[in-house]
Amino acid sequence: MSMNGNTNKSLVMSDAASVRLRLGNWIGQGVLFLITSLSTFAVFFIFYFIIKDAIPFFKTEGFKELFTGTHWYPSAHPAEFGALPLFAGTALVTVGAILVAVPLGISAAVCLSDLLPFKIRQVVKPMIEILAAIPSVAYGFFALVVFAPMLQEKGGTLLSTGAWLILGPIFALLVVVAGDLLLDRLRTRIKNTKLAAITVFSVLGSAAFFLIYRVAGQLAGIEISSGTNAFNVSIILGIMALPTVVSVSEDALQAAGRELREGSYALGATRAETILKTIIPASVSGILAAVILGVMRAVGETMVVWMASGNAARIPEPWYNVLQPVRTLTATIAGDMGEADHVTGSSRFHVLFALALCLLAFSFLMNLASETIVKRSRKKLGK
Amino acid sequence: MSEEITLRKFDQFAEHSSSGEPSEIHIEAKDFSLFYGDFEAVRKVSLKIPRRMVTAMIGPSGCGKSTLLRSINRMNDLIPSTHAKGEMVFDGHNIYDRNIDVVTLRSRVGMVFQKPNVFPKSIFDNVAYGPRLQGITNKQQLSEIVETSLRQAAIWNEVKDRLSSNALGMSGGQQQRLCIARALAIKPEILLMDEPTSALDPKATAKIEDLIGELRENYTIIIVTHNMQQAARVSDLTAFMYEGVLVEFGKTKQLFTNPKNIQTENYITGRFG
Amino acid sequence: MRLETRKLLDKAFSGFGLIAIVIMALALVFILAPIVSRGSKAFVFKGTIEHRRVMLELFDRGNVDKFHKERDEVGKAREPIYAMMAEFEAKTLELETSIETTLDEIKNEDRNLRKEVSRLKKVTPRDDVLIAELEARREQFKTREAELKAQRSELDDTRSAPYEELKDTVEELFGPIPGDKTPVLVRQRYGQTRWDRSLIKLHELLYTEEWDYSSPDGIGVKVETPRSELFAGTCLEPLFSYTEENIPQMMRPRTTFYWQFITDVSKGDNFFGGIWPAVLGTIYLTLGSMIFAIPMGVIAAIYLCEYAKEGRVISFLRVCISTLAGVPSIVFGLFGLAFFLNTIHVSSSKSVLAGSLTLSLLILPTIIRSAEEAILAVPRSYKEAAFGLGAGRWRTVLTVILPAALPGILTGVVISMGRAAGETAPIIFTAAVSVGLPLKIWETMTEPTPALPWNIYNLCTEHEAVDEIRHVQYGMVLTLVAIVLILNLFAIFMRARISKKLRG
Repeated sequence: MSMNGNTNKSLVMSDAASVRLRLGNWIGQGVLFLITSLSTFAVFFIFYFIIKDAIPFFKTEGFKELFTGTHWYPSAHPAEFGALPLFAGTALVTVGAILVAVPLGISAAVCLSDLLPFKIRQVVKPMIEILAAIPSVAYGFFALVVFAPMLQEKGGTLLSTGAWLILGPIFALLVVVAGDLLLDRLRTRIKNTKLAAITVFSVLGSAAFFLIYRVAGQLAGIEISSGTNAFNVSIILGIMALPTVVSVSEDALQAAGRELREGSYALGATRAETILKTIIPASVSGILAAVILGVMRAVGETMVVWMASGNAARIPEPWYNVLQPVRTLTATIAGDMGEADHVTGSSRFHVLFALALCLLAFSFLMNLASETIVKRSRKKLGK
Repeated sequence: MSEEITLRKFDQFAEHSSSGEPSEIHIEAKDFSLFYGDFEAVRKVSLKIPRRMVTAMIGPSGCGKSTLLRSINRMNDLIPSTHAKGEMVFDGHNIYDRNIDVVTLRSRVGMVFQKPNVFPKSIFDNVAYGPRLQGITNKQQLSEIVETSLRQAAIWNEVKDRLSSNALGMSGGQQQRLCIARALAIKPEILLMDEPTSALDPKATAKIEDLIGELRENYTIIIVTHNMQQAARVSDLTAFMYEGVLVEFGKTKQLFTNPKNIQTENYITGRFG
Repeated sequence: MRLETRKLLDKAFSGFGLIAIVIMALALVFILAPIVSRGSKAFVFKGTIEHRRVMLELFDRGNVDKFHKERDEVGKAREPIYAMMAEFEAKTLELETSIETTLDEIKNEDRNLRKEVSRLKKVTPRDDVLIAELEARREQFKTREAELKAQRSELDDTRSAPYEELKDTVEELFGPIPGDKTPVLVRQRYGQTRWDRSLIKLHELLYTEEWDYSSPDGIGVKVETPRSELFAGTCLEPLFSYTEENIPQMMRPRTTFYWQFITDVSKGDNFFGGIWPAVLGTIYLTLGSMIFAIPMGVIAAIYLCEYAKEGRVISFLRVCISTLAGVPSIVFGLFGLAFFLNTIHVSSSKSVLAGSLTLSLLILPTIIRSAEEAILAVPRSYKEAAFGLGAGRWRTVLTVILPAALPGILTGVVISMGRAAGETAPIIFTAAVSVGLPLKIWETMTEPTPALPWNIYNLCTEHEAVDEIRHVQYGMVLTLVAIVLILNLFAIFMRARISKKLRG
């Protein structure tokens, strides 16, 4: 039996076979490319069809009213299409959500990348994934059915408890650090250091306590007339945006690399100093990208805001009053389409596409910005 | 395998090469260069590799020996932006010609890699992978090929009772021998080995080396190795490369005992690399 | 700064990080706890006899003989209530009729008098004295009539109207009164099926509720008064204490495990039965979107990883994919409406098909990315080995790369399935309806369907009796969250196994 069974096979293909092979490869790759581009070009389809249905609105109603008017009565006669309250509502809940998600998210990301031991990280990561996986309608249901009544009934208590929980640790830390620094200054001049320490800490501590007490007292007096408001939505949207912020900024922190960390530690920096002065500055662009993605999540979310924002199309007074109901772009599209659907072709139908176009353009620009930031930082890090 | 036979073979090869009879030259590089982008990793190498002998390629890392080896079955095609100059003649054709069937080429020139790279499939399926590609579906025939290949690779006795278990469960040495069996199953004429023992312990290495000794009866083997002792132990001919250039090529014994080139001498006496 | 201070700061810093993690965990618990604890009550609860009646009559489930026995006992317990009500009704009727008959008599006599007067007026000579006397009598009749009318409206106010209210509440609690004709609406044919709801209804029965807006800050205060006060002195007075004491005998609460909540269709505007149409709709939409998204996504990933040469075109494709990933979900919904329904007319109205297509676009970027990651994670050596054995590119992809990447691809697929199952916005305009029957597989091409996420929204905002079907809403949310979380946990588990395998 011959060991070398292929010896007779010619290395050279006939011309026909060669052409066939080339053609086959070419066609195969073409088909693959076609499918790939079909799925990627869907995004152009989306732009095209949203723009196509938005144009009739701008043709008949112009641009000015939509972006500057404050009266949103699309079903009245004559209809009014002032979408400024919707933009304001979207902006308000987004800013609120970011105020919740960013501090929490970045702290958690730092914790995950640099502080927690591997085993605990293995538990926390699935937790974040679960937080990300819960459907938005479930968050909306929670906001509407559980959180809103809670705010309405015990709003003041909740707010003041929240103030204690958030301000308490911050002030405690401030007192400790400030006291320590002060004592350090005084050390050379005072003999009885123990007494000095007790005095300094008790004075600072009681001042801080009093301050929080006053703030919490103020908050406790607040009556919330409707639980479905911008505050409720901001909190829930913040929680929803958390996983995005955490995982993207954690990736950014990880990407800063071990060498950087070791370099800093080797110079005698503590962990906090290493993170604050070396790691975070090195990964600031990634963290920025995380914030942008968080913003996109909050702006694009529909169900929570539709269910729990109160859907009142007016600008809150004063504009930062988060305890008033608001209405967002997404909720307007979702809510009004049901009625506008029957009159396809009317301005009432097309204005929703105009709003969708604004959303689409915003998310496109944001996405581009985050991509650019990430790409530039990658180049900077030389990867 | 006695020293004498080897030498006689090589003498024949030398004679044949001078008389121009091609049958005993299995593969020949003529002014062969290979570029990664602008970088010339192999520089105008010309060498003739005789049939049914073990040829070792040695040299410091980055000298282009692996690249040259991978050029012989065009594995470098996988790396983007590579191109070749000169000729690599096998079976009367330059394998870098446009009309060469790369798939047939690779089924005639088998390859064993640095790290054992068994597929996450059963032992049987691993060995049968190549034959199946060639369109053999008959179970009986496949079994025969698998058994023969495993026997040739001297691993049959160890695995015959667990052919259907996952190949990833074997030891590193066994995996490498399985890779050899897998390469043999496509019935190649030439077997390229890219540092086949670098990831293995001494015992497994010894087994592979024994195996190479047996396989040279039927196959032309080209082996890249980092280990000069290994080259000395297993090969009939040795090529020393340095910075992409073929510095010296000759009978192993001669090259190791009486190198003609000062760089070769420096290298084998351990002064650099 | 002193070393001690720096160390202190360091510790405080770690503390902050930990607080963030703890807050996150608390948020998760805070959100999931009510959903799980109250959602499970849709499945396990104290069911009353009415629940068993619903099961038997609407779903043909349960032991008929046992039920009849129980029904008779309950009937006996309820009997005094109906008896009291009947007695009260009879008495009211009696009072009403007596007033009515007196009124009729007066009216008759008044009419006679009027005739008499007009006759007398024509007679000459006129007997003015008699006429005046008769007129005076007529005046008397008028005051008497007004008196009686006042009596009648008082009777309405104090007896009939409160009684009607009471009767409605009783019917809501126990179902229609025996002997009455069957109501048209299914939801009115049965009493309270759940013990917790029964107790709430009982409270409504025992107390009337009014809002007092007299306080100066304008916030209303709820004032509850015992209903028995309205019926003080009547034969209905003992009804309230009787009902309060004997409610367990009249409702027969029993711990019920109603797992069929998932597989039963809903009856009577979601008051009874389960959520099967919505569950099935969600399954259809999820699988449907997978049918489109998996092949497209995996092929795109293979192309991007194995065939495409890095360059302008590819980086452009990647920008497209990431843009697609960033499009808000509601915009997908509008696109689905504008393109699939209004432009290429995949179906004449909303349909599962249109919804699946829309959802598949939404999850495409996720699938492409995860498949790409999985393919890139396949060791290069596998590819080399396959090529070295003479396999072509396509063969290598099919026989070596895809099998090795399969677990990773599957992980991404499973996660996107969870996403598709939970998305609401894209299906609002393309696939979802509030009420519907479970669809047959071929109807998915043309028919819209209920779906869990949409029906959750619908039931808790647009249903006529939002507060009375909280258990259904919670049950739906729990079911949806459970589906999504099980898929995700499966993915997490699978990923852990893969990373273990890759580590060796």
